[in-house]
Amino acid sequence: MDLDLFLQFLTNGVVMGVFYALSALGLTLIFGLMRVVNFAHGEFYMLGGVTGWFVTSYLGLDFFSGLALVAVAMAAFGWLVDRFLIERVRGQGEEPGILLTIGLSIFLVNATLLVVGPAPMKVAGAVSEGPLFFGPIAVTKLRLVAVGVGIALIAGAHLIIRRTRLGAAMRATFQDPMAASLAGIRTGNVYAATFALGCTLAALSGMLLGSIYSAQASVGGLISLKSFVVVILGGMGSFAGAIAGGLLLGVAEAFWGGYVATGMVDVVGFVLVILILLFRPQGLFSIRAERA
Amino acid sequence: MTLERNVLLAFLAAAALLPALVTDQYLLHLGVVALFYAILATSLNLVVGYVGEFSLGHTAFLGAGAYTAALLSTHLGLPMWATIPLAGLISAVFGFGIGAITLRLQGPYFVIVTLSFAEVLRIVANNWIAVTNGPMGLAGIDQFGITNKGTFFYIVLGLTAVALYLAFRFVHSNAGRAAVAVRENRYVAQSIGVDPFGTAMQAFVLGAFLAGLAGGFYAHYISFVGPEVFRFPFMVTMIIMVLLGGKGTLLGPIAGAVIVTLLEEYLREMQELRLTLFGLIVMAVVLFLPNGLMGFIAQRREQQGTKPAPRAATKERTV
Repeated sequence: MDLDLFLQFLTNGVVMGVFYALSALGLTLIFGLMRVVNFAHGEFYMLGGVTGWFVTSYLGLDFFSGLALVAVAMAAFGWLVDRFLIERVRGQGEEPGILLTIGLSIFLVNATLLVVGPAPMKVAGAVSEGPLFFGPIAVTKLRLVAVGVGIALIAGAHLIIRRTRLGAAMRATFQDPMAASLAGIRTGNVYAATFALGCTLAALSGMLLGSIYSAQASVGGLISLKSFVVVILGGMGSFAGAIAGGLLLGVAEAFWGGYVATGMVDVVGFVLVILILLFRPQGLFSIRAERA
Repeated sequence: MTLERNVLLAFLAAAALLPALVTDQYLLHLGVVALFYAILATSLNLVVGYVGEFSLGHTAFLGAGAYTAALLSTHLGLPMWATIPLAGLISAVFGFGIGAITLRLQGPYFVIVTLSFAEVLRIVANNWIAVTNGPMGLAGIDQFGITNKGTFFYIVLGLTAVALYLAFRFVHSNAGRAAVAVRENRYVAQSIGVDPFGTAMQAFVLGAFLAGLAGGFYAHYISFVGPEVFRFPFMVTMIIMVLLGGKGTLLGPIAGAVIVTLLEEYLREMQELRLTLFGLIVMAVVLFLPNGLMGFIAQRREQQGTKPAPRAATKERTV
């Protein structure tokens, strides 16, 4: 086996894996902790890319202030979605949530198509496209910066959940909502904040990847599915699991695409998820011994 | 139960008269599509409404049936009366295999894994070019010289009658009642000796069989089968029909199929606006009509049933 090629595939896989991890981290909050089977997650990702394109090309902001603006806008959007839609079906099992988010995803995709059309939109990148060489491996500067930002965002989300009062309130609410509300936590706000954080992480992942490739209105469905795959691979609600699952999926896809067949890359995730549910249904890194 | 049966029979009888009254090919086409979706929605309802698990992979069985009929017809030259039942049987085999794996799971895991199976089949259909002709699909499936939509209408009406008969018999059998018991309370059902996996499996395989029949008919009617039969939009349409009509009732999916087919056709010119509105309708149904139209009607009937009672009592007192 050609070692240089192997390392190049590995690098490409890790780059993709960081973005899968970032998007899946958002879903592990919404799906793993809040138990909302969120089929609109890919649309949050897509909206991140499209609004990223809008703020960088139309408003003329540079990449990082654009990123901050998108984060704020999508957090507000996620908050509103939770408060006006998801809250009404909370505690009714997963079925109404599935339908509600399917409806939301159909609405968001087609409303976006109506407004901006189906053409791919390039988000202006933070740096130039030029390649960097590490020995035999080539990575563009743009990818390196995007991966760096992605890792910083993952670390930031970790700090929010582990070190802030909001994070403590989240953890308390998902352990026992009744006890948390008795202790004076406004659980309604905590749910909305968690949903907003999940939505923001997906959107930022979309904007970062939109700067490497391009943002497109119809990309959401596949991203939703892949995020579900990663969350199940890693274990429901597990932070480390979402990261490991994302990297695993990215690397597995890169190797499959490189060595086996490029056409069937998307099949990898689904086969992985079927296998994991057969042999290790609690996921690779589940925080509780929960089985499917 | 009798009312349900009579309404179903009346529906089939009214549908049978349609080609005699309407000769417009376009309206007949709409009728064919509505009945095709009625079969699909009925088959999905067996899983969603009676087993109570949310399958998002039902297109796997539609697609398996459609490809089976297409391959049997183009390669072996089998006639339609053979390909459609065989399509159903092959789909039932798929249903058995997929059900054996997925029905051990519950809740969100079941949702995602059934969806994964449908996606795997779609990707295979897209890439296994030697058999499925890849994204180009299988075209020119024999229609046996049937040009009149009315003939197709009677074929699909026959299939609908078969689907409704089987669904009716299943729902009112011991297995059907056991499935409802599991849906309502799994542990209580188990404690009185119901096998949740076994009853769910029966409903799942029957659902797959009916979806396969619909798929087989689709292949001959459209005369083309491509990987898009496995795609999510088909699934979404089916779900909307079942939920809008009312899951867990036999009449609901049919009402849903007719309404959604007409609505889709009415809004056809405005492609993206149509789907935007669809998204809004789905959300509105979930929020304001959680048990579908049939649930709404049942609720109204209950309310009307209770209201006259006190009035009658007051009359008696005045006498």
